[in-house]
Amino acid sequence: MDIQFEEIYTTYWQKIYRLCLAYVNDADWAKDIAQDTFITVWQQLPKFRNESGIGTWIFRIASNHCLRQVERNKRIPKSDVQTEIPDTSEPSIEDKTTFLYQCIAELAETDRLIISLELEDIKQAEIAQIVGISEANTRVRIHRIKEKLTQKFTRYEQ
Amino acid sequence: MNSNIDLKELWAKQETGIPDTKDLFKRVASFKRAHLKQVIYANILLLLVAVFIVLVWYYFQPEYITTKSGIVLIILAILAYLFSYNQSIPLLLKSSYEMSSADYLQQLLSLKRKQQFLEGIMTNLYFILLSTGLFLYMIEYTMRMKLPLGIFCYGITAGWIAFNWFYIKPKTIRKQREKIDGLINKFHLLTEQLTEKK
Repeated sequence: MDIQFEEIYTTYWQKIYRLCLAYVNDADWAKDIAQDTFITVWQQLPKFRNESGIGTWIFRIASNHCLRQVERNKRIPKSDVQTEIPDTSEPSIEDKTTFLYQCIAELAETDRLIISLELEDIKQAEIAQIVGISEANTRVRIHRIKEKLTQKFTRYEQ
Repeated sequence: MNSNIDLKELWAKQETGIPDTKDLFKRVASFKRAHLKQVIYANILLLLVAVFIVLVWYYFQPEYITTKSGIVLIILAILAYLFSYNQSIPLLLKSSYEMSSADYLQQLLSLKRKQQFLEGIMTNLYFILLSTGLFLYMIEYTMRMKLPLGIFCYGITAGWIAFNWFYIKPKTIRKQREKIDGLINKFHLLTEQLTEKK
């Protein structure tokens, strides 16, 4: 295997895994999708012509692998973290992280992708390219999704 | 609203060990093996049936043209099935993951529609060829029987064909359709998520 792929793999594994995890909210399933993504990356890398940035290209492949999951007859599992009736003590960072991923997995499929890319610090113009919608639309949707998530967090922490 | 929540910070906290790249290649190899096995089994099994039928022709030397045409039709039915089976797999593998999600969903929709069309036509063709082939094939052998036995044999075969035609075929087609329709529907809903709010 060439060095270029090794580099891509180590640079992007966590990012792609996070995107997949937020999409399906199941660690093993997310790992499967992430691996499938890198298999496609490895297969298509020799044909990659830098028309878009390598990151945009990889995230596109990952997003499409996520969308393809509707073909698997598996329901998106809910995590064990309580959503509505939290403990009286302050939730830990780990709990909050799990809660965040769970909240994202409950959004509409394309919203899950959009917000995951935004949280991964991808520029909005790139997100628009990855998902195939306008930049203005991307901006509006990110704003709405963040509002929704913040509301859920406020309820969770109360 | 709690403005202190830093979603990006929480987001980045989620990490997992990086699997060895060897795992990736094992995965590719096992996919290929599983896919190849599936294709080879289906092809070998049905081709063996076809060979068996040809051997029957060779050893029993049927005299009637109906028997020979029956055999040809049965073999055509097998080939039609194999054609459709071998076509539908590469059709699904053809999809490219490198386009935007909106284009990718369009691509999946059109691939699924093609698959739906192919399966519908081929299932019908398979049943028509097989039933007609069997019906023709039996004429010669039934003619050699006494009338009551002949009627009995044809009755049983006609019953079997009718069962296939009125029960198995609609059920097979309905199942295929439900599965693909369900997926087409889901892809439509996903596409709508992207177009609705534009």
